[in-house]
Amino acid sequence: MYAFTYQRPATLADAVKLVASGARPLAGGQTLLASMKLRLSAPEQLADLSGVAELSGIRKSGNTLTIGAMSRHREVAGNADVKAAFPALAWLADHIGDRQVRAMGTIGGSVANNDPAACYPSAVLASGATIITTQREIAADDFFQGLFATALNEGELITAISFPIPKRAAYEKLRQKASNFPLVGVFVAQFDEGVRVAVTGAGNGVFRHAGLEQALSQHFTPESAASVKIHADDLNSDLHASVAYRANLIGVLTQRAVAKALG
Amino acid sequence: MEMLGIRKLEITQQQAWDALNDPQVLKACIPGCDKFEPIGENQYSVGLAFKVGPVSAKFSGKVTLSDVQAPLRYTLTFEGQGGVAGFAKGLSNVELKPAADGAEGCEIHYSVQAQVGGKIAQIGQRLIDGAAKSTADDFFKRFEAQMQRR
Repeated sequence: MYAFTYQRPATLADAVKLVASGARPLAGGQTLLASMKLRLSAPEQLADLSGVAELSGIRKSGNTLTIGAMSRHREVAGNADVKAAFPALAWLADHIGDRQVRAMGTIGGSVANNDPAACYPSAVLASGATIITTQREIAADDFFQGLFATALNEGELITAISFPIPKRAAYEKLRQKASNFPLVGVFVAQFDEGVRVAVTGAGNGVFRHAGLEQALSQHFTPESAASVKIHADDLNSDLHASVAYRANLIGVLTQRAVAKALG
Repeated sequence: MEMLGIRKLEITQQQAWDALNDPQVLKACIPGCDKFEPIGENQYSVGLAFKVGPVSAKFSGKVTLSDVQAPLRYTLTFEGQGGVAGFAKGLSNVELKPAADGAEGCEIHYSVQAQVGGKIAQIGQRLIDGAAKSTADDFFKRFEAQMQRR
């Protein structure tokens, strides 16, 4: 065991101060703590955000659902407002990782980490959500910047994520059986202005698929999704799946997601 | 892990060659590199802090250039130790060619074959391709910025 300082601030102002002085923010710890146990990360100071009341809570107001950054996956999955207004998001939260991950992992932690195969970033990007931080509000389209990279500045903390509620939406994924991360996940969200499709697990970070969005904005049917050619350029291959396999999965999962959204 | 790429550079082939043989340029362009010092003919001692997402590791190692044909090509062999994180080794073939369409500038063709071992390989398998691609993109972004400054 190596020594580090652990602090648990009670207010957002104290948390921001600690992080500004060099502490690593700790949300649900589902990535950071595992990395520390493996000695792949060795922060000297941790600021545990779980005691900060301003970061919790789920509110629905009008057509917007605002979810506090420290909301655990289990809370989002079981929240009555989320289930009623945005069931696709509740389903996604209810199917992240395993029971232990859902009990500890948080939406803010997942989005700030931006793992290229995390589930939440696909919902945030497909919904055109807004990431609210201690410094500003960031549109999802500007937030995700590839492998573990986001628009967040040093010391900037996510406080909440605000989702416009889509008319219809669904998330479909194929799990990699050992890690439970999606091999590919597709989130489809239909709004009056059109359809947004975000893909996780397949590339170097979550991305929108223009071809699928265009086709589904015209005809929101699985057949319409099936007619789109998915290019394999820029997708990832690893020992679990080739580029061609991932490209095919994007098409298949989008068709399933559309069918599911149509009920 | 294998990676192939071609980049168009807005400088002459000789300028590109000089830059690719300048330890100062390489140090400034390799993400996280804090040391790139000659220790013999075509041999360099290299230190770099690798950071991707939650993982951060300091690697120290050696880079050797072989099959050097100025201003056309070289083979770069590297091996490094990252403490508990593991190790990395591999080689990269770098080739410079005149721009394909007879335009100004030149092209750099590169291939990388790398092996990683230890904990990084065990837990990071699904991330290695992506991290390699990001690192290459970052390298050329910095390289282009360096060249423009000249």
